[in-house]
Amino acid sequence: MLKIENLKAVVDGVEILKGINLSVNSGEVHAIMGPNGSGKSTLSSVIAGDETYEVSSGSILFDDDDLLDLDPDQRAHKGVFLSFQYPVEIPGISVSNFIKAAITEKRKVLGLDPMPAKDLLWKMREKMDLLNMKPGYLSRNMNEGFSGGEKKRNEIFQMAMLEPKLAILDETDSGLDIDALKVVANGVNKLKNSNNATIVITHYQRLLDYIVPDYVHVLHNGRIIKSGGKELAHQLEEKGYDWITKLADEKWGS
Amino acid sequence: MGLLEKIEQYTNRGTDKVSNKTAYSKFIDLGFPSLKNEEWKYTSLKKIIANNFEIENQGEEITDQEIKNNSLDLDNKVVFLNGELYQKPTISGVKIEKNIDHSPKYNDAITALNAALAENGYNITVSENTIVDKPLEILFLTKNKSENLAQYRNEIIVKKNSSIKIIEQVKNLSTNLCFSNMFTNINLEEKAIIEFNKLQNNNESQIIVDNTNINQETGSNSTFNTLLFGGAFTRNNLNFSQNGERCESNMNGVVILDNSEFADNHTYMDHLKANCESNELYKGIYLGKSKGVFNGKIMVRPDAQKINAFQANNNLLLSDDSSINSKPQLEIYADDVKCSHGCTIGQLDEDAIFYMNTRGISKQDAKAILTYAFASDALNKISIPYLYDVAKDLISKKLNVDLSF
Amino acid sequence: MKKEELSEDELLEKVTSTEYKYGFTTNIDSDTIPKGLSEDVVRIISKKKEEPNWMLEYRLKAYRTWLEMKEPDWANVNYPKPNYQDIIYYSAPKQKKKLDSLDDLDPELKKTFDKLGISLNEQKRLSGVAVDIVMDSVSVATSFKSKLADLGIIFCSISEAIKEHPELVQKYLGTVVPARDNFFSALNAAVFSDGSFCYIPKGSRCPMELSTYFRINEAGTGQFERTLLIADEGSYVSYLEGCTAPQRDENQLHAAVVELIAMDNAEIKYSTVQTWYPGNKDGVGGVFNFVTKRGICHKKAKISWTQVETGSAVTWKYPSCILKGDHSIGEFFSVAVTNNLQQADTGTKMIHLGKNSKSTIIAKGICAGKSNGSYRGLVQISKGAKNSRNFSQCDSLLMGDSCGSHTFPYIEVKNSSSQVEHEATTSKIGEDQIFYCNQRGIGTEEAIALIVNGYCKDVLNQLPMEFAVEAQKLLEISLEGSVG
Repeated sequence: MLKIENLKAVVDGVEILKGINLSVNSGEVHAIMGPNGSGKSTLSSVIAGDETYEVSSGSILFDDDDLLDLDPDQRAHKGVFLSFQYPVEIPGISVSNFIKAAITEKRKVLGLDPMPAKDLLWKMREKMDLLNMKPGYLSRNMNEGFSGGEKKRNEIFQMAMLEPKLAILDETDSGLDIDALKVVANGVNKLKNSNNATIVITHYQRLLDYIVPDYVHVLHNGRIIKSGGKELAHQLEEKGYDWITKLADEKWGS
Repeated sequence: MGLLEKIEQYTNRGTDKVSNKTAYSKFIDLGFPSLKNEEWKYTSLKKIIANNFEIENQGEEITDQEIKNNSLDLDNKVVFLNGELYQKPTISGVKIEKNIDHSPKYNDAITALNAALAENGYNITVSENTIVDKPLEILFLTKNKSENLAQYRNEIIVKKNSSIKIIEQVKNLSTNLCFSNMFTNINLEEKAIIEFNKLQNNNESQIIVDNTNINQETGSNSTFNTLLFGGAFTRNNLNFSQNGERCESNMNGVVILDNSEFADNHTYMDHLKANCESNELYKGIYLGKSKGVFNGKIMVRPDAQKINAFQANNNLLLSDDSSINSKPQLEIYADDVKCSHGCTIGQLDEDAIFYMNTRGISKQDAKAILTYAFASDALNKISIPYLYDVAKDLISKKLNVDLSF
Repeated sequence: MKKEELSEDELLEKVTSTEYKYGFTTNIDSDTIPKGLSEDVVRIISKKKEEPNWMLEYRLKAYRTWLEMKEPDWANVNYPKPNYQDIIYYSAPKQKKKLDSLDDLDPELKKTFDKLGISLNEQKRLSGVAVDIVMDSVSVATSFKSKLADLGIIFCSISEAIKEHPELVQKYLGTVVPARDNFFSALNAAVFSDGSFCYIPKGSRCPMELSTYFRINEAGTGQFERTLLIADEGSYVSYLEGCTAPQRDENQLHAAVVELIAMDNAEIKYSTVQTWYPGNKDGVGGVFNFVTKRGICHKKAKISWTQVETGSAVTWKYPSCILKGDHSIGEFFSVAVTNNLQQADTGTKMIHLGKNSKSTIIAKGICAGKSNGSYRGLVQISKGAKNSRNFSQCDSLLMGDSCGSHTFPYIEVKNSSSQVEHEATTSKIGEDQIFYCNQRGIGTEEAIALIVNGYCKDVLNQLPMEFAVEAQKLLEISLEGSVG
C-alpha cells in the first residue's frame, strides 16, 4: 500500500530525513519509535504533505500514486489520515460542521452527493459511542478550549468518520491518561481491518501495549536504523535507545 | 505676553538668535498645535503658551547639595545647570560633548522650535564593541528667577556591538513655571543595545514636551522606560523606527498622576523592515483631578513581513474627577504579521479588596498593594536594581502607603 | 512545492475574474430630472413628492447648511470627490398607478426582484418577511402592509409617511441625525426622495421581520434614502436592509441616513447586508457608500446594529448608539470584507450618557487583494454614565501582501465607576489551519471559506436566519480565490 524509497527532506537548509525506506501493506500495524528529534514527526508531516518540509529526493508511493505529486487534500481523498501531534484550533467552526465539510469534499471527488444529514448524524453517534464521547462534543468549536486528551480523541473521532486506508498516529498517546489511552487504543483497534493500515509514531512503548504492532522501526538521526517485530519495542523499553543509536552513529556519524 | 510673541520678540533682536532658519520659519508657519490637530486632539497647549515665558536664561545658582538632593547620585553623571553643561564623567569608550547639532530633524512645530532655538544639550557617542557597565545619569536642572522656556537638543550614538544604560531627569527647582522642550535623537547601529529610563517625577511648576526619536539598525535592541510620577503637564513623543531586520523595541510606561496633573504619552512604532519585534506596555493610574492621554500607533510598512507587534494600555481611574483618553492604533500594510493592541479602563477589584480585608489588611493598604501590583509588570522591565527601588519608593510616596513588602 | 505555485496562479486568476453577481440593469421607464443641485432642484423634488410646506422648508434649510459645509477627508479612504452637479438627484421608475398588491407590479420590475433573489411571494410564504423596496430613489412596493396595520404598526415609504403621518415624521425626523451633523447628512436631508418609515406602537412586538431592499438602477443617479424607525415604549422590531446596484464604469453615490428611536424598554435590531457594486478588479466604477446611521436609546432600551459589508468601492459608515437612558444597551456587530481595490472605513460610536448603560462592539475585518479596511470607533463615557460598561473586540484578517488593515479606536472615559475593555488583533489567515483542513480532505478554497465563516461567526449569529445564510454565501463569493 505504502512504499517509501530513499526519502530525504530538508527544512531551513537542514536535512532532517536522510533516506527513509519503508513498506507498509494492508492489514499491518507499524510502529515508528525513536528518541526526540529523530525525525518521527517530520516523516508523518511529509507523508501528509506539509509544505514546511522540502522533499529533496526519494518517493512515496501510495497504491499507484506518487503522493509527492498531490496536494495535502488530494492525499486525504486517497485515504491518508494524519492524527496530528498538536491538533489545530479553528475558532467558530463546530466539530460536526467540520467533519461534514471534510466528508462532503471527499464524496465530491468520488462523484457522490453530500451524505444525507440523518445518515451523517447517525454515523457520528455510532463513532462517538465507540470512543466514549459525550454528545455535546459535536457542537463545540474545533479543538478550541479542548484539553490535550479531548483533542486527541477528536482526532481519532475524525479518523473513524473518514475511514482512511492509511492512518498515521503521531504521538497520539502524549497528553492522554491511562483511561483515555485505553479508549483511544480500543477505538483504533476496532477500526482496524484487512484493507487498511496504521502507522503508530511514539516515543514510548506504553501505547504499543494496547495497539500491538506487527513491525517496529527505530528512527534515529533521519534514518531507520533497526526494524523488527513487536519484541523490539520491549527491548527498547528495557534498555533505552542508546545501545542501537551508538552502533548507528558509528556507522553514519552522529 | 504669550510665548509666541516672546519668541518673536527674542528672534527680532538679531539674526544670530536663530540657529536654524528653515526650522524657525517652519515653526512660525505651523504655530503651536491646537486641538484641531489630530495628534493634539486631547491635549491643549492654549493655557500653557499664554504664560509669560522668558526665552533667555536667568538662572539662580544651584548648589552641589541641591544637585545631590535631586539626583540619584550615581557615579557617572552628566549635569546641566540652567542650560549649561556643568559636569560630565570620563568613561572609557564613551565620548561626551556639548551637542551642536542643528540638523533639520523636526516634524512638527514643537520640534521645529527646538531645532531653531535650542543652544545646548549633550552628544554621547559609545564606540564600537563597548559595553558600558555602570548606568549613566543625565540631569537637567533649572532654577529660574521668572517663568522660563528651556530647550535642549541631544544626541546619542551607540556604535556597533555596544551597549549603554541611561537614566534621565529634567527638574525645575524653582516655583516659577518652566517649559522644557526636549529633543533627543538616538541612533543604534548594528547590534547595539540601549536601555533608556526617563524618570519624570516633577513638581507643579514643571511643563515638559519631550520628543525622542530612536533609529535602529539591524539586530539592535532598545528598551525605553517612562516613569512618570508627577509634573504639571507632560507630553512625551516617543518615535521608534526600525531600519534594519531583527530589531527589537520595547517601551514601558508607568504613569501615576494626582491633583490637576496632566500627562500625554504618544508613541509611534514604525516597522520598516521584516523580522522585527516590538512590545509596548503602558500602565496609567489616575487620582484626584488628573487627566491622562495615551496614543500609541503601530505601523507595519509594506513588505515588513514576520512582524510581531504587541501593545497594551491599561488604566485605573481611582477618583471621580480623573479621566483618560486612549487611542491605540494599528496601521498594517503587510500580511504575515501578528499585531495586537489592548486597552482597558477600570477600577480595582472590590472582591480582592474585601478578600484582603478579611485577612486583616486595611482597605487603604489593600488598594495600594493592588495598585502597585497593577503597575508592577511595567515596572519589572527596569534592569537597574537601584532605579527599580527608587521607582518603588516614589510610587509608595505618591500612593501614600508603605510598600516595603 | 511546484504544484502549489501553479495553483496560486490559478487562484489569482480566479480572484480577478470573480464577477459581481448583481451587475444587471433593468429596462424600466423612469421619471428623471436633469442633473445638478440647486434650490430649484430641491423644490422640484419636494413638489414631485407632493410634500407639505414644512417638509420643503426642512429641505431648503438643509440645503443651505450643506452649501456651507466641506466634504470630510479625515477617513482613511482615497477617492475622487464626486462632482455634485453631475448627479441626478431624482429618478423614479414610472408607474401608471398606485399599486394595491405586489401582484400588480410591472413585470420588468418583478424580474429585477427575482434576480436580486427576493422572490416576494416566496418570502411572504416562507418567512413572513414584510418587504419595502426602494428602487433608485423611490419606494416601489411594500408588502404585508394591511396585516401590520391591524396591529397598529406603520410600515411604509417615508414619502407616504410624510403625507399620512406628518405628526410622527415632523416630531422625529432629524432628531437623531440633524441635517447639520455632517456633509452627507445635510445633502441627504435636502434631496432624499424616499426611504422607509416604521412605527411600532407601545408594547407591541412586530410579528415579522421588516425588510427594505435598496437598488440603484438608473445611470448617473445618486441614491439618497432616508429611514426613520420609531419603536415606542416596550415594543420590539427586527429590521433588515439589503442593497445592490448595476455594474457601471462610473462611480455612483449613495448617501443615506438612518435614524432609530428606541423609547423606554423598546428594542430595535437593525441588520444590513451591504452588497453595492464594488467596482471591477482595477477599481473602475463602484458605489461610494457614505452613510450616517444613528440610534437613540431611552431608558432600558436596546439597539443592536449588525452589518455585513462586502460591497461598495468606498465605504464610510459608522452606525452609532446614543445611550441616553439609564440601563440602555447598544450593540454593534460588523463583518467588513474588502477585496481588489475596495476601501472601507467603518466602525461605530457608543456615546454613554445614562447610568448602567452597556455597549458591545464586535468588528471583524477581512482584507484581500489591494484593498484597505479600517475600523474607526469611538467609545465615550460621560461623567454621568456611572457604572457603564463597554467591551470592544476588533479583529482583522489579512489575505495577501498588498492589502492594508487599520484600527483607529478612540476611547474617552470621564467616569471612575465605568469599565472599558478594548482588544484588537491583526493577523494572517492561519496556514496551519489551512493545512489541517487540507489533511482532512478539505481544499484550500473551502478551507478559507470555513475559517472565515468561523472567524465571523459571532457576527453572523446575530443576523436573522434567512440573512445569515445569504451572508455566509456572500463572504465566500467576495473572497473567492483571494489567497495565494
